Amino acid sequence: MNRRDLISGRHLGWALAGAMLAMGVGGLPAMAQDKPLVIARNMDINSLDPHRGFCDTCQIYFSAAYDTLIGLGPDNKTLTPKVATSWTVNENQTVFTFKLDPKAKFSDGTAIEAKDVKWSFERLKNLKGSPAFLMDDVASVEAPDAQTVVVKMASPNSEFLGMIAAPYMGVINSKVATAAGAVAGPDAATADKSEAWFLANSAGSGPYTLAGYRADDELRVKRNGAYWRTAPAISEVVIKQTKDAVAQAQMLQSGAADIAMQVDGETAKTIKGGNVVVSTIPSYNYVYIALSPGAKSNTVKLTPEVREAIAAALDYKGLIDFTVGDAGRPQPSPIPNGFPGSDNLPEPKQDLAKAKQLLAKAGLEKGFEIDARFPNMNVYGVDLSQMMQKVQQDLAKVNIKAKLQPLTFTVWREAVSGDGVPLTAVFYAPDYYGSAQYVQYFAMMQGSPWAKRAGAANAPDIINPREADLLKQALAAPADQQNKLYRDLALEMIKDKIIIPIVSPDMIMAHSKAIKGVRYSACCNLPLDEIARN
Amino acid sequence: MPLLLLGIVTIAFALSNLTKGDPLISIIGERQMDNPEIVAAAKARWGLDRPLPERYLRYVGNLIQGDMGISLRTKQPVARDLMDRLPATLELVIAAMVVGVGGGILLGVVAARYRNRAADHGARFVALLGSSLPVFWSGLLLLFVFSVVLGWLPGPGRLDARLTPPPGVTGFYTVDALLAGDFTTFRLALTHLILPACVLGWAVMGIISRLVRSSMLDVLAQDYILAARAKGASGPRVLVNHALRNAMIPTLTIIGFSFAYLITGAVLTETIFSWPGIGSYTVDAARSLDYPAIMGVTIVGGSAFLLTNLVTDLAYALVDPRVKLG
Repeated sequence: MNRRDLISGRHLGWALAGAMLAMGVGGLPAMAQDKPLVIARNMDINSLDPHRGFCDTCQIYFSAAYDTLIGLGPDNKTLTPKVATSWTVNENQTVFTFKLDPKAKFSDGTAIEAKDVKWSFERLKNLKGSPAFLMDDVASVEAPDAQTVVVKMASPNSEFLGMIAAPYMGVINSKVATAAGAVAGPDAATADKSEAWFLANSAGSGPYTLAGYRADDELRVKRNGAYWRTAPAISEVVIKQTKDAVAQAQMLQSGAADIAMQVDGETAKTIKGGNVVVSTIPSYNYVYIALSPGAKSNTVKLTPEVREAIAAALDYKGLIDFTVGDAGRPQPSPIPNGFPGSDNLPEPKQDLAKAKQLLAKAGLEKGFEIDARFPNMNVYGVDLSQMMQKVQQDLAKVNIKAKLQPLTFTVWREAVSGDGVPLTAVFYAPDYYGSAQYVQYFAMMQGSPWAKRAGAANAPDIINPREADLLKQALAAPADQQNKLYRDLALEMIKDKIIIPIVSPDMIMAHSKAIKGVRYSACCNLPLDEIARN
Repeated sequence: MPLLLLGIVTIAFALSNLTKGDPLISIIGERQMDNPEIVAAAKARWGLDRPLPERYLRYVGNLIQGDMGISLRTKQPVARDLMDRLPATLELVIAAMVVGVGGGILLGVVAARYRNRAADHGARFVALLGSSLPVFWSGLLLLFVFSVVLGWLPGPGRLDARLTPPPGVTGFYTVDALLAGDFTTFRLALTHLILPACVLGWAVMGIISRLVRSSMLDVLAQDYILAARAKGASGPRVLVNHALRNAMIPTLTIIGFSFAYLITGAVLTETIFSWPGIGSYTVDAARSLDYPAIMGVTIVGGSAFLLTNLVTDLAYALVDPRVKLG
């Protein structure tokens, strides 16, 4: 081909088309039977050190690479043995004794001993990383012999066993990690230099080990050859960074991925059938709006009547339909559906007459303006901006004018914990199976995050003393009494009308028909070791 | 150039640190922001408890020694993050420039040569589509058609996720695969490059073709073109040697700017095609207020613009003998 031909473009066009076809039609080489499992997911990893990382993808990776003492069964309620074969709790829920499985070993073949558990728990506490709150109540960790661990609490905590199942409580090989610069002592927050090492290595006893990580690209784990329990069926798993839900779905449809984890309801409808299975699973996540009576920019006092009027003005069914269609459920209280205390709670309903009556009683029949700032993001398939537009429409029916202002997440966070935001919207997902975390976060107790954000300093009457008392009782109660106590707490939090849950979006899990064992776990998100090829 | 870079560093440092929001969220997560002990430990660890002037002086001091700091988000040295991502972006941008510049010049020449005829209208329509269609739409559409429906080309990513990338020498998967003698990986890396390069290149193609067409029309009306034709030069010779070469001067400026712009501006294409490059890194850094990463990207982006300007100036002399470098 000479230069003149190039100018004409004719040959160039044919050459390009030919090259495209020649390269594309050939397709991929034949894959081995045990080909890597690919998960398309928008990764949110902030560390691969189990004592620093805190994110949804972290839950998947940590539970794959670091076994915990106790696991959470497929019913998301039952605690199952893992590194610990048995455990006992004293009567007032302050001393927890674990017996370790003598067969348990790390991926380098060395036995897991009580000293590793003690070292791991102490590092988690002293490192002061994101999941350190799990150790807040722990007074001491003792290792009286190689197979026994005794954890003593500063105050009763009946949920500690549930916390132990959280992937952040995974046991680390103390010898290997120490050699890499990890420190567990009281100076860990400043002396530990191992975070970079954890980005390239793992030191656990889980079914998988870290094979490679490239931030914003992929996380690769391979089967732990020395795994001491039933080895996982899939030899290698790749979590591929795929931000866009449509791109995730396209990867699944084209066979480039086996699982698409964050497909929204609308996209899911377009990929049903063929070789794809779309499962809609009730989740423990929810989206809520929150009121702050103590926020500086309030134009009127958000009294209990006004807050109740706002809650009554909302069209909950319409909001669910508008945000997630049929892929979501009502969420009565800040304790998520399925957690202790969530049974038979009254479902929220719109009652415009009641809302108007309450506003009239508060002298606000002509309505008022309310400043509504919220993070501009799409979470669990819910677009917060769209949801707040519907909230704005609902409130307008009782003459409340919501001034919507979407913000970036970091700016929103600064606003909500600074001068406060009268009306906001955000989301929550559990860190472990247990209702206390919700009470500690959402209840109107002195010092709780949402009591601060609701402006308890400026509006002390929002504090509900009964909630602190009920929580204390629940944390010290035996298992058979906890459900009732948490239900009472849920009713109190509904009455507060500070946190008004809107929708619990279903988790949409789309995967290839060629695989099985895909399920959602309350502690660990997606247990990789349960997945197999058909 | 060093002074210009220092100016860029200073302005970027001031802007990113004075922006509203708290970068600690990306380090410890939103829920722990209410835990004063965890917040204090994180601030001390990342030096965020120091006064701004001290942080600036420390940053510049480290930068002089080649240390761009540690990313608050990825927890890796920013220089390493950039070195990991820059080859991905450069590979994409170079391929996009080949598509965009090659296609743009071709369309521009054809449009000028056949002014107001069907070829001109067709070329202008293709160019218009390229500059008007949003990348997120054309990207998803092309992915759907060529990957999902026809299955001719692979989906997002630089390589099939089930494959291990070639041993890193240059960071360009196509080049590294060739260096390793792995032609299967080379073929796959190349096929993964086609769709994002076409999407990105199409946008550039629109701008370049319109500019080439306009310049060519000016040049084709000049007396020396008439003289060349009168001397018996063939049509293509007149078009390429006499007209196109002279019409390339303004186009070179745009090509230079397009290249520098695409290095940091390929955000949407990188997002749609899950391309782990600088563009998506920039957006994530900005979203999480990852100051060290924002600074790193700004310095690399600023340097790219300065360097491209220099190369463009040098290229003028090559294309136009009247331009003398002094």
